[in-house]
Amino acid sequence: MGYPKKNNIKVYQDRELTDRRQELLDKITKGDSFLPDSVLHDDLDFGMLNFTKDNFKVISDGDQIPIIPKILTIQRWGEFTNTWDFADLDGNPKIPFISIVRRPEVQLGTNPSLQRTIPDRRQFHYATVPTWNGTQMGADIYKMPQPVPVDISYEITIICSKFRDLNKFNQIVLQKFSSRQAYTTVKGHYIPIVLDSIEDNTPVDLESRRFYLQTYKFTMLGFIIDDEEFEIKPAVSRMFLMNEFIQSNNFEKSYLTKNLDVTIATFTADGEQSIFSVGETIGILFNVAINGLLQDRDTSYYHVALTSKITFVDKPREGDIITITYYKGRSSVFIDQEGDVRQVTTETFTYDGSNIITTSNFIGGVISLDINGLQQNEGGGFEITGSTTIELLGTPRVGSKINVTYLH
Amino acid sequence: MSNKLPITRLNKFFSNEDFDLNIQLGQEYLHGDLNMKLVLYRVDTDGTDIDAVYAEVGKDQIKYFPPVEFNALVNIVDPKNSSYKNGLVRYNEPGNLVISVYINHLTELGIDVKYGDFIGYPESEEKVRYYTVSNDGKVTSDNKHNMFGFKPYYRTITCVPAQETEFRGV
Repeated sequence: MGYPKKNNIKVYQDRELTDRRQELLDKITKGDSFLPDSVLHDDLDFGMLNFTKDNFKVISDGDQIPIIPKILTIQRWGEFTNTWDFADLDGNPKIPFISIVRRPEVQLGTNPSLQRTIPDRRQFHYATVPTWNGTQMGADIYKMPQPVPVDISYEITIICSKFRDLNKFNQIVLQKFSSRQAYTTVKGHYIPIVLDSIEDNTPVDLESRRFYLQTYKFTMLGFIIDDEEFEIKPAVSRMFLMNEFIQSNNFEKSYLTKNLDVTIATFTADGEQSIFSVGETIGILFNVAINGLLQDRDTSYYHVALTSKITFVDKPREGDIITITYYKGRSSVFIDQEGDVRQVTTETFTYDGSNIITTSNFIGGVISLDINGLQQNEGGGFEITGSTTIELLGTPRVGSKINVTYLH
Repeated sequence: MSNKLPITRLNKFFSNEDFDLNIQLGQEYLHGDLNMKLVLYRVDTDGTDIDAVYAEVGKDQIKYFPPVEFNALVNIVDPKNSSYKNGLVRYNEPGNLVISVYINHLTELGIDVKYGDFIGYPESEEKVRYYTVSNDGKVTSDNKHNMFGFKPYYRTITCVPAQETEFRGV
């Protein structure tokens, strides 16, 4: 006689690690803080429901015995809504089915790992979490009290009319709890469940409907974590100083007037540098020119108000002369060293063949004068010939735009 | 038992003819006037394939003889509001069916109602409720089932509602 043959042996194992990988991924990605999520009564109950639904699958007459998907309470309508889909014509739950009942009372726990409790809900260090607010680097200390152990009793009842269904259910339970306990996962925590007893409560009345009713009593050795009890305190804070070192580049400063701080800083570009610093706060930036050609702000260069730097979009070429004309005060009102209030005005003229420009106000000093964007120097390109007149020393094209910025 | 023992008790004022007349009158009322009909599904215990270990069968696997319609006096007990689990998982248990049937009627039909047989009773045009016999009432020695102490003449059969997994008719 040969050995009995079994044809449904699985030679190749399923991808057993997929679930575990997903579990680990969830643990990493789903947590929204360094602290654990709360684990409360309903979470533990949900864990028991999932455990039952995942493990206690009994096939009877080709169909799985339905498991009432919720823990039933005293609300009648709630009970009905969870049994209607396997109800008979009278609205009664159709046999067979499995129900989960939680004992309403929850006792203080007997989980061995939590039996030694620390009084007064003292907070314990849980994690040190680095912080960064954009300026300062520091750390927060996360603290939480010891979780509260709880014992929750569940009664899982199978109601059926076939002895074989009882056998199947019993076999599943005994195999699952052969090591006395099994585990469910509640928000990433492994919670043990212990099988306490198996009872047969089958009614034995001859003159009534017959069915089997067996109750399996379990105790979940859970614990409660309440995020309301968490404590977060700042720990050591560390100042993070950031310095920017700009390449040294000699530049010259000249002053338009002796009694007013309107400065012209002149740099010679090296072809590598795009940031130029005048070494002091630029209160009002009048203009920036490369080789005498005025540059457009926010197009050719950037400047953050009340800083010292000019940043060019493109690096000026080696040997280019960069001039930055600015006022280093921190107010829009110019006050000279004698205490007189001075004002700055920019007027635009169109060249009509006459080399004499007449301004609207008394000229206290020309800050800049450009013809079609090309900067002119006093003495080379123009001369102040009167209190309100400027003479152009060259001859621009008729129709050229002449911008004059001057103090008065 | 081939030998028959004649019943001669009460013969001074009650004879076998009186007994038959009373039954005839009763059947006229029950079958003719009340006309309560039920259907008997007798389980074919030999033809039904039962489990090798447990005396049970799967859903819709009970085999039965051709259904037989018969008349009886029907009494349905009040339904019972109950629960499977200490007040939870409530159900409304239909009441038992208690029927009284003339022994003579069963004999005429050539049937017997046995413990475990199924009986269908149409509650309405759309709904037939099935019951299983929990007490076939074969013991009729008591005074109630004897006509004036002369001879037994009817059986009281108690049935409990059948579950759908157990039996659901044709």
